[in-house]
Amino acid sequence: MATIQQGTLALMILTTLEGLGPLHGYGIARRIEETSKNRLVLNYGTLYPALLKLEQAGFIKAEWSVSENNRRAKFYALTAAGRRQLAREKKEWNETADLLASFLSLRPEGT
Amino acid sequence: MSRLRMLASRIAGMFADKQAADASLREELAAHLEMEIAENVRRGIAPAEARRMALAASGGFTGAVESVRDQRGLPILESVAADVRFAARTLRRSPAYTLVSVATLAVGIGATTAIFSVVSGVLLQPLPYPNADRLMSLTSMFNGSPMAVSAPDFDDWRRTARSFSGVSAGFTTTTVLTGSGDATQLDQARVSANAFDVLGIHPVIGRAFVVGEDEIAAPRVAIISERMWRTRFGADSSIVGRAIILDGFPTTVVGVAPSAMRWPERVDVWLTTRFTEKDLSQASRGSRYLTVVARLNSRSTPSSANDDIKSLAKHSESVDPRHNKNVGARVDPLLSSMVDDVRAPLFVLLGAVGFVLLIACANVGSLALGRLGARESELAMRTALGASRSRIARQMLTESLIVALVGGLLGLVLANFATKALIAIAPSDLPRLSDVRIDVSVVAFGFLATLLTALLFGVAPALYGGTGDLRARLVSARGSIGRRSAARSRQALVVTEIALAIVLLAGAGLLLRTIAQLRGVDPGFRAKDVYTFSIGQLPHRYATHEQEIELTTAMLDRLRHVPGVSAADVSFSLPLDAGGPQFTFKIQGRPDGSGLSEPRAQARSAGITYFATMGIPLIRGRLFTDADRGGVPGSGVILISADLAKRYFPNEDPIGKTIETGWGGPGWPGQKFGGTIVGIVGDVRQRALDGGQLPHMYMPYAQWPIDEYSVVIRSSAGADRTFSAARSILRDLDRDIAMSDARSMTEIVDASMGRRHFYLVLLSAFAVVALLLATIGVYGVMAYGVEQRRQEIGVRLTLGSTRQRVLMMVLGDGLRLSIVGVAIGLVAAFGLTRLLSGLLYGVVPTDLTTFTIVPAILFAAAVFASLIPASRAAAVDPVEAIRS
Repeated sequence: MATIQQGTLALMILTTLEGLGPLHGYGIARRIEETSKNRLVLNYGTLYPALLKLEQAGFIKAEWSVSENNRRAKFYALTAAGRRQLAREKKEWNETADLLASFLSLRPEGT
Repeated sequence: MSRLRMLASRIAGMFADKQAADASLREELAAHLEMEIAENVRRGIAPAEARRMALAASGGFTGAVESVRDQRGLPILESVAADVRFAARTLRRSPAYTLVSVATLAVGIGATTAIFSVVSGVLLQPLPYPNADRLMSLTSMFNGSPMAVSAPDFDDWRRTARSFSGVSAGFTTTTVLTGSGDATQLDQARVSANAFDVLGIHPVIGRAFVVGEDEIAAPRVAIISERMWRTRFGADSSIVGRAIILDGFPTTVVGVAPSAMRWPERVDVWLTTRFTEKDLSQASRGSRYLTVVARLNSRSTPSSANDDIKSLAKHSESVDPRHNKNVGARVDPLLSSMVDDVRAPLFVLLGAVGFVLLIACANVGSLALGRLGARESELAMRTALGASRSRIARQMLTESLIVALVGGLLGLVLANFATKALIAIAPSDLPRLSDVRIDVSVVAFGFLATLLTALLFGVAPALYGGTGDLRARLVSARGSIGRRSAARSRQALVVTEIALAIVLLAGAGLLLRTIAQLRGVDPGFRAKDVYTFSIGQLPHRYATHEQEIELTTAMLDRLRHVPGVSAADVSFSLPLDAGGPQFTFKIQGRPDGSGLSEPRAQARSAGITYFATMGIPLIRGRLFTDADRGGVPGSGVILISADLAKRYFPNEDPIGKTIETGWGGPGWPGQKFGGTIVGIVGDVRQRALDGGQLPHMYMPYAQWPIDEYSVVIRSSAGADRTFSAARSILRDLDRDIAMSDARSMTEIVDASMGRRHFYLVLLSAFAVVALLLATIGVYGVMAYGVEQRRQEIGVRLTLGSTRQRVLMMVLGDGLRLSIVGVAIGLVAAFGLTRLLSGLLYGVVPTDLTTFTIVPAILFAAAVFASLIPASRAAAVDPVEAIRS
């Protein structure tokens, strides 16, 4: 099972919320696990501090609401600041990934 | 931005309702779990299994709640806050300890901060001029000691020195302001026209002097001090452009100088120097009365300027060896030229008060260590519950820090008062007193001292708080290892206190002996019951010397009839009072001396009964008589001092010889004075009681009248009645005559010891506080020791020891403790009292008397401090002690 870095988890949460709109903790965890093809498993002690941190930074906001099967749950939604942060981080990640990809695709000279 | 926001919400999280937040989180987590179970069930898993799987995946509620909690607030800060709350509670539970510690530290920190405020204001703060570090003082040097500068030398420097953007000279005199109310004597400075520009000072209103205003033909202009402007002229800005009467001359006020203008210090009014051609000629090389200040230009450094000036002095020495032989010159930063002679004493005082603070720390540290004993079981309990050694050390340090901070805060309040008191009792000749204040740097110093204090006295308890064998502590609080070494540390602290107290007592003792020695010095006159005041320049209506003499005679006549007055007369300048000008003179029948090797003396005009009034004895020959009046200058009679006789007539009888002065003094332009020596009188101390004995010559006032002089009165009526009688006589005679400097001769004698007295008062205060603290320290350790040894003492008593022997045993312990401290202290004092040598007179820094009495005082204090614990030990009930 892959370990998650703090920064990447935040990015995953933000992307998830961008794609699916307001979502409760369970939904976010599900979605990340599915997207990672179950290579990532999020326990509560990892997910909830990360959500609180994003909320404190003002990137997401939380609100109690009722879920699809009529259960009270806390829903998280992206804020404007969160959207900007996501765009910024996406760009940085893409650039880094591009850069790394071109290095990794280098072949040994003379072959 | 987001980071700031995060910090803000985390700080807010510290104060939010934690239980509500936890409950909300738990609900959220429960919802999560339920949704996961439902999903598992939906996928066809049995409910029990579905729940088990979901729980396994959750990773546990408790851990998650803890992690979220940590994220919610600032855990480090929160535990610090908890420490502080706990420490405050603990301290409140032992109010005696807290009170004594806080008070001790407040005194220590307050005194240290107050002394630092003086050191900072006088020595460390830059002078209140722009780029003050570029301002230099230029002095002439002769045989390695600085001298005032002559006008021709200043003129040379001004014209040819290449290191300065401006060179300015000045000297101080007094002047009499008339025309509005009673005549008032003012302190006046005469300065070059560029003085304000060189210093970079802009007048509050009006303008500075402009180029050419120090020419002899320029109109008379003045700049008054802001203080004068406010007190005398009611801050009326129309003063600029108006004329005031100074020494009888209308003088136009062109500006008001801000209080930052302190060159020279304590001046009411600035006028310009007006050098005549003669003032600047070779003939005036020998009359030195100027101080010179200059601003370095951008190309120069203090040392390059020094070389510059030195080479100029070399040059004038080669051009004019008669006047400039061995006369050098030196450049010093203006600040150090002002404060050099108080630097060492002030740092000694700062060091001394630092010792007091150290002793205070040692005392509080010792108290805190003693308190560890009482908290043994509490600390053991906390260790048992899992508190780490470092956690307990942190707790101990937090307690120390709180005590120190409260003490420091109180100390700053104390320092505020103490600084004001210091300024009030400081001698008026201490430079830059007006720059002494509690400012940011002083507060910062106080805060730093506080933190240092907390570390110093908090480290020992922090170290011992967490040590020791837990089991031993829980089983029996007595005799744990940590506690034994804590007791040893307390003894070490007390030994340190005693040693520091010895050093301070030795310093104070030496200064006390110095003052006693100075009091024993015969000043050459009898100061008791003699009162004096000075007469500023007489108004112009007393233009002739006959008119002056007539006025003076009338005044003295009426003064002598005041009840209680037994004698009164006049003199030009007084003993122990800064010193009048020196006159060079020639002895008839001897070849001329040259330059500085010419005979020199203080020349005084004195009334016939001056010597009787002052109590200066006649040694040989005769005093002045009524017949010594009139005559032409140069043909009068002269009295010389014993010192002058010894110095310039070593092998012959001076009586009957004729001498002639180089100039006539103020009021006698172009004249020379002289006469036949008719008698020898006793020496008086001119500058200070230690040394400062200068050769003197006296001429009768009736032959050499001067228009500003001091009146001396021997009176049994006391200062108030004598002066008020004198004041009404003067007002009656002429209200334009200014009476100033009304003082008793005793005050003048005291003022001559002013700085030493100031240092003595402070050092003694520190020494007394140190002794007190050290005594308390000894008492604390002894009392604690006896408490610890109750059982042992009980056993001793049961086995046949007498109570007296127990008493002697404890006293012996106290004495042993102090012997170590005294020994260390004596060695330290031996080395450190050398720092005082510049202040001492008549005693060596290793004075045997001082070094005998001081240890005796401390032994006495130690025995005294051990008496109560010793008698308590002797009163132990053996049965009860062994049982307990």
